[in-house]
Order: sequence, then structure tokens, then C-alpha cells
Amino acid sequence: MTAASATSAAPAVEAVGLRKQFGTIDAVNGIDLALEPGRIYGLLGPNGSGKTTLIRLLTGLAHATAGEARILGMRMPSRKALASIGYMPQAEAIYPELSVGENLGFFARLEGHADRAAIDRVLDLVELRERKGTPALELSGGMRRRLSLACTLVHEPQVLFLDEPTVGVDPALRVQFWTHFRRLAAQGTTILVASHVMDEADRCDELLFVRDGKVIGRGTGAELRERAGTDNLESAFLIFSGLDPEGNPIQPVGAGDDANNSPGEPPSGGEAMGGGQAMGGGGPMGGGGPGAVL
Amino acid sequence: MSPSRILAIARRIAQGFRRDERTLGLMFVVPLVVTALLGWVLQDTKDTVVDVVLVNEAGAAGDRIASALTAASGDPTRNIKVVANVATEAEGEDWIRRGDGDIGIVIPANLLADIQAGNRPTLTIISEGTDPAAESGRFGTLQGALADVAGQLAPPGVTPPLIPKVERKTVYLSPDASQVDVLAPIFLGFFGYFFVFLLTGISFLRERIGGTLERLLATPVTRFEIVTGYSLGFGTFATIQVVVLTLFILNSIHVPSFGPFGDYSTPAFSIGLGVNSAGSPLLAFAIALLLSLGAVNLGIFLSTFARTELQVIQFIPLVIVPQALLSGILWPIERLPDVLQAIAHVLPLTYAVEGLRAVMLKGADLTSTVVQTDLVVLAGIALFFVVLASGTIKREVA
Repeated sequence: MTAASATSAAPAVEAVGLRKQFGTIDAVNGIDLALEPGRIYGLLGPNGSGKTTLIRLLTGLAHATAGEARILGMRMPSRKALASIGYMPQAEAIYPELSVGENLGFFARLEGHADRAAIDRVLDLVELRERKGTPALELSGGMRRRLSLACTLVHEPQVLFLDEPTVGVDPALRVQFWTHFRRLAAQGTTILVASHVMDEADRCDELLFVRDGKVIGRGTGAELRERAGTDNLESAFLIFSGLDPEGNPIQPVGAGDDANNSPGEPPSGGEAMGGGQAMGGGGPMGGGGPGAVL
Repeated sequence: MSPSRILAIARRIAQGFRRDERTLGLMFVVPLVVTALLGWVLQDTKDTVVDVVLVNEAGAAGDRIASALTAASGDPTRNIKVVANVATEAEGEDWIRRGDGDIGIVIPANLLADIQAGNRPTLTIISEGTDPAAESGRFGTLQGALADVAGQLAPPGVTPPLIPKVERKTVYLSPDASQVDVLAPIFLGFFGYFFVFLLTGISFLRERIGGTLERLLATPVTRFEIVTGYSLGFGTFATIQVVVLTLFILNSIHVPSFGPFGDYSTPAFSIGLGVNSAGSPLLAFAIALLLSLGAVNLGIFLSTFARTELQVIQFIPLVIVPQALLSGILWPIERLPDVLQAIAHVLPLTYAVEGLRAVMLKGADLTSTVVQTDLVVLAGIALFFVVLASGTIKREVA
């Protein structure tokens, strides 16, 4: 919150030649990034494109095969940097046998931030104040998701990594989540949201298209649509991936303004099919307007 | 009833097994390993030499028995060795208490008189009384030798030779101590180990698969803090468990018969085993606690190698069964085949059982080198597993 001014000169999140191999698979294949403080970034890509691995490399949870990650100027893994990070994993990552309040208290204490007021603030945000004493086990799926987000925010981190934060959250509350993300960003928090929900993508200040462990496109939603010559993001993603809106291989659009990333190569037929299946769940491609799921 | 639905269910189970190679492996390999181990122990149990302390109260008359037994010492098939020849029972007991002798044979002062009167003489056999499995083996060995000696020494013309009566005496406990008395220390060690291992293993597995470990590791918490916190948390419950179990074993509350109508009253019963601990219950507790701390961290370590709760449970035959077989509970370690003896000496339960027996049955205290060694080794093993456990925490997320 207050540290924004102190760190605004340097990128809040930085990756240099970041690479992670699992056996022969390049989960993250040479990514360079510099995310400015106080902005919301959307990480978009199909399942298995490397979004989660990238986040785990940036948070120091995974060791990079090559390259390095820096958070607030500190090379990861750094315990000091971790105190300023909020990470919401894809899994719920809460203790089902503990109550809502106990879960929050636990993570707050680990962050050295055991402050009653902070816990109540975050409970109000996710509308779980009345459920403070309820075991997480008895909450609905959406409530558990909200609790998970609350556990991520309770120590008021400067950098937030949210891996699909709004899955299972109802539309009204999703709007509230984003209002809060926007407020945090205005206070200087840097937020990286991995998502495949398109209408969320347009709420981000900047988008990163990720495919096969590489950033294949970067810019605002409007810029990316314009460069791809289409009016919806899903089609834009396909075009950046080297596919036409029906999923047939075409010459891909270059990564454009991001000089660190080489233009995407034309994918082979097999990969193109793989990408197409992940994008549309095997259904017809390119038909989805805003709100479609990548 | 639809056979195709039944078949579908059976098929689903087979498909699940096919994906879970470990379960499949354990299902076939573990019973073989455990059976092989059991067979090995049973077939290759070694005959160990019994160290005999002779207590000759009969003077010259006893000397003949003594020299016959000493002669038998030289016979390698007899497996006995006379290590001392003393004059009083008290001296003989000292030898056994010090661990320098296994069995004492008291040749009574009235030996000659009995034989001359045509009565069967009575020999008193002294043993520790703390390890029935080991001691019954030694009695067997000794009886063979004694029968031989009796045959040699029988007065001419007396057939069958006078086989001496044997009276048992023990240094610790009483010769007719119940199994419960002797097994109490083992209960204390074994249950603490077993449950703590199982609970931590499953609990930590849930941290790994539920995402909470990821979340933990994205906070400034260190691996050592996680492992120590776990040890403290589960250690607290292990402590309570050990305290409750100790109280139950050592105490006995008699509940009298109550109710109004004679035959319809509840029968009287006792709660607790009422075993007498010869030594300090606190020291026994310390040993059991160190063992549990090792179990907490073994559970964390092994949870790395499991993906489901079922797979944690599958570690039981690998972790618990060999310890039950080899740690001196069922067979004395010195009679195990050499290779298994070596294995027994790296198992924590071996040291816990030895230490708990020493404290609870023999009244050993902190000055006893056996207890000192056991405490040090158990602490070392616990520390080893702490290091191992913290090593696996990053590994999983690497």
C-alpha cells in the first residue's frame, strides 16, 4: 500500500529468461517480464500452457531451470520478498476442519500479521463475517473460494498472484472481487491474475497471452484485438497462436511491442489441434463472444 | 439386477488398480516381503550361547555338577558357557543384574542329602524375568545340558537317573509375572509410534494435495519451522496419548459390583492394568516421547511418496510390520540372523523397547548406560527424520 512510491521506479515483478523444464517438456520456455506496480495483469492461456508454472516460478515455489525471477527487486526465492506476496493457488488451500476465522488467523500469523481488524476487514470484503465461526468444511464451494481469497489478502500484500481466483464465484460477487482488485491496484498493489474467463480479461490493464510456455502476445485487450484484426479476445488468442477462428493453422501474428519475445512460430498441425481443444473444450472454435471461456 | 452394471463396477476397480501401480505392487510385493522376513526369522533363528553363573552352595558335592557343566561348556553343540562360579545366591543375582550372566543355577546345600535319601534334588534357576521369549529359549538350551549332566552323575545302579526338580526365580518381577507385566513397556512404545506415524502421514499428505503446503511455502515460513511446528503439535497429542496409556498401564481402579438385586448387579471389574513400573514413569515417558517425535517426522517424510490416504496406509506393512518382527518384541535380537540383527539396530523401536524394558521392568535410571544409549540413539533418529522431513518439503514443490 504505502510501499508503492518506494518501489515505483523498479518493476514489481520481473522475469529474465525464465525457463522450467519437466523432463523433456518446456513448461515455461524463456519468458521475460517486467510488471509495473499498481497495475492488474491478466495471464491468459489454455490449460497446460504454463500459467501456473510461471506463477510458481515467480513466487519461488518452483526452481527455474534457467533465468531468474525478481519480486520488488529481490531475487527469488527470497524470504523477505515472500512477506510481500499474496498467492492464491488453484486449489482451495484452506484447512477444512478449521473455522473461517481460524483459517484466516493461521495464515495471518504465518505472515506475521495477526491483527484482528485486518481479519475483520477481509471477512467483510468476501462477505463471510457471519460465517467466522463456521468450519470451512460446511461452507459451499463458492464460500470456500472466497475464504481462500481472504487468506491471500489478509496480510495486505504488495504483489498478488491469483491463479483463477473467481472459479465458482457467482457473478455478483465476481464484480465485487474485481472492484476490490481495482482498489488494491489504485493503492499500488501489483496483481497478476491467471484466468481463462474472457470478460475478466478485459478488466485487466494489460494481458499476456501464454501458449506452450511462451508469451505469444502482450498488450491491452483492445490492442490485442486490433492487432489480430478481430473483435473478440478468444479469436485474437487463436490468431496469435497461429490458428484462424475455426482452428485451422495460419501464419501467426508477431508478439508485437514486446521486444523480448520472439514472434510465435507457426505451430505444427498436432500442436494446433492440442491448442484448439484446450481453448474450446473440443467444441466449435471462435464462436464465443465476451464472457466465453477460453 | 444388471450383470453389466456389476461388471462395470468391477471393471472400474480393475482400471483404478492399473493406474495405481504402487497399490498393485504393494498388494503383491509386500505380503511376499513380510512372509519372507517372517520365514527368515523363524528358520534361521540362531542358537546363542547361554552364559551360566553357577552358585554352588553344596560345597564338594556341588563341585561334581559344576565341573560336569563346565566340561559341557567346552562342547560346542551344547551352547552353554559357565562364566562364573560363586558361593551365594546374592552374588549370582548380581552377575545377572549386571548383564554378565544370562542364567544362574543354584546347587542347594542339601543336594547330597536329597540324593542319598532317594529324593529328586531341587535346582533353582535364576533369570532376569523381563523377556520371556529370550528366556524360554535359554531354558531349553540349559535343560539339555542338565539332563546330560544328571545322566553322567547318577549314582551307579540308579536308573532312571535322578532328574533334578527345577524351581524358577527371577531377578526382576516374579517368575509367574503375567504377560501383561512384561509386555506393558512394549505397548507404550508401539502404540505411540504406530498412531503418530499414521496421523502425521495422512495429515501432511493432505497439506500436500490440498494446496495448503503451497500456500504455506509462499509465506515467509521456513521448512524447519513447518517441521518443528508439526512436531510440537503432534508431539503434544502424542504426549497426551503416552500419558493416558502410561496411567492406564500403571494404575488399576477397582470398580465394585453395584446394583440392587444380587444376581442382577453388575459384576465387579478393574480399569487399568495395574502394572508396577520398577523405574521412573517419567523416564519411560521421555523414551516414548522421543520415539513419537521420530514417528512424526517419518510420517512427514513418507507422505512425499504417497498421493492418496490409501497409499499412506499401505506404508504400514513396510514401516510397522518389520519393526514389530525385528525390534525384540517377539524374538530376542541376539537370536536373529546376522543381517536382520544389523537391520534391527537401525530401527527406533528396538531402542525404545530396550529402554522401556530397562526402565519399567528393571528399574534402570539415567545412570544406566543402556538407558543413556537408548535416549541418545532415539534423539539421534528423531533428529535424522527431522532433517529428512524438512528435505522433502521443497522437493515436492521443486
